[in-house]
Amino acid sequence: MIEIGRVCLKIAGRDGGKKAVVVDILDNNYVVIAGETRKRKCNVNHLEFLNKTVKIKKGASDAELEKALKSEGIILRKTKPKKAGPRPLRQHKARPMVKPETVARKKKTKEAKPETGPETIAKPETKTEPGADTKTLNQKEKAKTSKPAAKAAKKAVNS
Amino acid sequence: MVAPRFRSRTFRRIKVKTPGNRNTIHYRLRKPAKAQCGKCGRPLQGVARARPIQLRRFSRSQKRPERPFGGVLCSSCTRDELRARAK
Ligand SMILES: [Zn+2]
Repeated sequence: MIEIGRVCLKIAGRDGGKKAVVVDILDNNYVVIAGETRKRKCNVNHLEFLNKTVKIKKGASDAELEKALKSEGIILRKTKPKKAGPRPLRQHKARPMVKPETVARKKKTKEAKPETGPETIAKPETKTEPGADTKTLNQKEKAKTSKPAAKAAKKAVNS
Repeated sequence: MVAPRFRSRTFRRIKVKTPGNRNTIHYRLRKPAKAQCGKCGRPLQGVARARPIQLRRFSRSQKRPERPFGGVLCSSCTRDELRARAK
């Protein structure tokens, strides 16, 4: 059953369901196949041998294989020849958006603080009635400028 | 006292040793059931078992086997199916 030129179906792995032809027999368990799959060594247990054969010789070239496989309706998958020389270094993907965003947010908060500061201090001065005591005015101003000062002012009022 | 929602067994319990050398119980959602073969019902190998949010972190090949019917049929049922389709 296993011979050079036997059409087979690959049942296992990512090439599962693809048809191929036995090109070479390595030993009892392994054969070399080519066809819709990649040209590769393959375990016999991962193949289903079909009732068809194709006339090819051992070590047939790609052109010969292509011709022979046409009769079975199998399109030969071609792999690019490997490039000679050293591999090109991997180029890491740039991450442009992460750092600028965080910087921008920080800047906004810094700008916001000084803007709000003078406004809050300025408002109570206009709202306060002219008849109010000078002592209470000072306490109010202190309360809005800083939190610890506000606590101290409250204590003073309670006592 | 534990929060009422943690008193049922919908959450799984994990014993954690805190940095302050205290043993506490943490509550996590349970894992989903194992994936099964659509034909014979056998549990599938190589299929990630995690919540959808965690699955999102995995690559495609980490989630299921890289073959036709991967993550749907078991390996032996896949072979049968492919043989049947070729005829
Ligand atoms: Zn199955």
